Amino acid sequence: MGIKKISKDGFSGLIEGLIAETTVIGVQSKGDKFVYDLLGSSANLRLDYDVTILPPKKYFLQPAEILLRFDGEKYEAEFDDEEFVLVGVHPYDMIAINQIDKLYSEDNFDSHYMRRRENATVIACDVARASENVFASSMGTATVSEGFDILLTDIGDFYVAESATDKGEKLLGKAEGVSTAEDEDLKAREKIQEENKKNLNKHKLGCKPSELPGLLEKAYNHPIWEELGKKCFSCGSCNQVCPTCYCFNVQDEVNWDLKSGTRKRVWDGCLLDGFTKVAGGHEFRKSRADRIKHRIYRKGKYVPEKIGGEIACVGCGRCVGACLTDIANPVKIYNRLIEDIGIGK
Amino acid sequence: MGKPRVAIFDFACCEGCQLQIVNLEEEILDLTGAFDVVEWREAMSEQSDEYDIAIVEGSITRPEDEERVKNIRRRAKILIALGACATIGGINKLKNNFELGEVKEYVYGKDSEKPHLDTAKTKAVGEVVKVDYKVHGCPIDRDEFTYILRCILLGKEPEIPEWPVCVECKAKGNVCVWEYGQVCLGPITRAGCGARCPSSGFRCYGCRGYIDNPNVEAAKEVIEKYNLDIKDLKAKMKLFGSGYEPTKK
Repeated sequence: MGIKKISKDGFSGLIEGLIAETTVIGVQSKGDKFVYDLLGSSANLRLDYDVTILPPKKYFLQPAEILLRFDGEKYEAEFDDEEFVLVGVHPYDMIAINQIDKLYSEDNFDSHYMRRRENATVIACDVARASENVFASSMGTATVSEGFDILLTDIGDFYVAESATDKGEKLLGKAEGVSTAEDEDLKAREKIQEENKKNLNKHKLGCKPSELPGLLEKAYNHPIWEELGKKCFSCGSCNQVCPTCYCFNVQDEVNWDLKSGTRKRVWDGCLLDGFTKVAGGHEFRKSRADRIKHRIYRKGKYVPEKIGGEIACVGCGRCVGACLTDIANPVKIYNRLIEDIGIGK
Repeated sequence: MGKPRVAIFDFACCEGCQLQIVNLEEEILDLTGAFDVVEWREAMSEQSDEYDIAIVEGSITRPEDEERVKNIRRRAKILIALGACATIGGINKLKNNFELGEVKEYVYGKDSEKPHLDTAKTKAVGEVVKVDYKVHGCPIDRDEFTYILRCILLGKEPEIPEWPVCVECKAKGNVCVWEYGQVCLGPITRAGCGARCPSSGFRCYGCRGYIDNPNVEAAKEVIEKYNLDIKDLKAKMKLFGSGYEPTKK
């Protein structure tokens, strides 16, 4: 696939055209923050944003969704078949989506998630402004090379636009103001990406991400988990805003006929009391300390072991800002462990 | 087997939670189709001493109320506490922070010593009799109320959140109101309301009561972080979170 450049007016025109024919979700301002929301006009699109309150995950794994309907005798799965375009996905969030794609297509193929994923056209964009807590540079997620249909990089009057799929290629083909990306444009893009690889780093991890599973191997009985547990509300805010958290709960809701109803799934979170409650009322991670430890192990060891080594924290920094008691920052936790027990064997 | 007989009773409260049942509008036909409502002062004139399910709204604030609710409990197979006054004592428990004489004089003035104005410390229904199901909130959430009723009909344990309001608030993509200087009780209050107040720009008032295992120490830490006074937190916790004994200063 090719790399082109598109004028900003050309891109606005492309978005207006898309809004007229399909559902377009884009990053917009909400007070002094940013959110993904239904886009009504290309003028509202803010590709200069720093970070969104919630990651774009919510369009693939919705906070609450109906999986199937039953009538007492048979059931039928319910799917969202609406095509949509998602505009403005930052590299770290794209990498998080790529990870969930893997997790939800292996083992049990999650048809609800994957259907939405197939229905989506993703226009990603390089970060133009570092957020307060981003540490993507530390996690190797400041730039992205796959998963998107188009990747934009703002180089002033133009975007460099890389299409990675037929869908992306076709979309760019419809736009006006598209021209060949010259050497200088590619160099401008490279400069921005190289800078992001260094500068999206408000919290600096004291080791390579690949060393985290080994570090955690030795940290199971470290006192930090109890220390953090004392300050934890178990509010799950760190889970809710995380682009790589993908746990859910399934509930049946039965109508007044006591036969028909819906099976729903809703976001769940490993920090919540009751997350590990099983039949008979047993709960195997009852203490806050155990639940905090599980979150960090999940991101730094268990999921990486499942998906080929990639760390399941992409350094978006949302949990750092969402945690009222300031204990969720993974870098702070990892660095403390490095200091206390070292990364060597 | 006939339809389960339901009776709805009220104690000290504003009756707003019963009003939420009335406000079910067309769904009320589903309710009366599934249950035989035999007593409900707010909506009908019939009365009955025979029922299977008692729905009790309000808190218990007088000695004679204790007897009345015990009598209801004896007759009912299932007792449901309806709304914050019934589930946690609610706003009525503010009274417990003062001397009873002082409270009576404040409210009734020169008549405060008249015998029919006798009063006692406020109790939640569960502090007097066994409660089988709680419908939290001030007022209750109608959907949650009908969900619990359907669970009872199905013989299924309703899933009531054990986690705080922050879960629902974050899922809605709200900006945390603590960032705007509000002392929000969301982190220690039971979810299930859909984070209604913080989603409308207000703080959480705590009307669904505390979660099973609230971390009050962490709450104190947040007060320090935002340079607020611990008194602000305590004052706000008193509204729905007062106990049987006066809240410590």
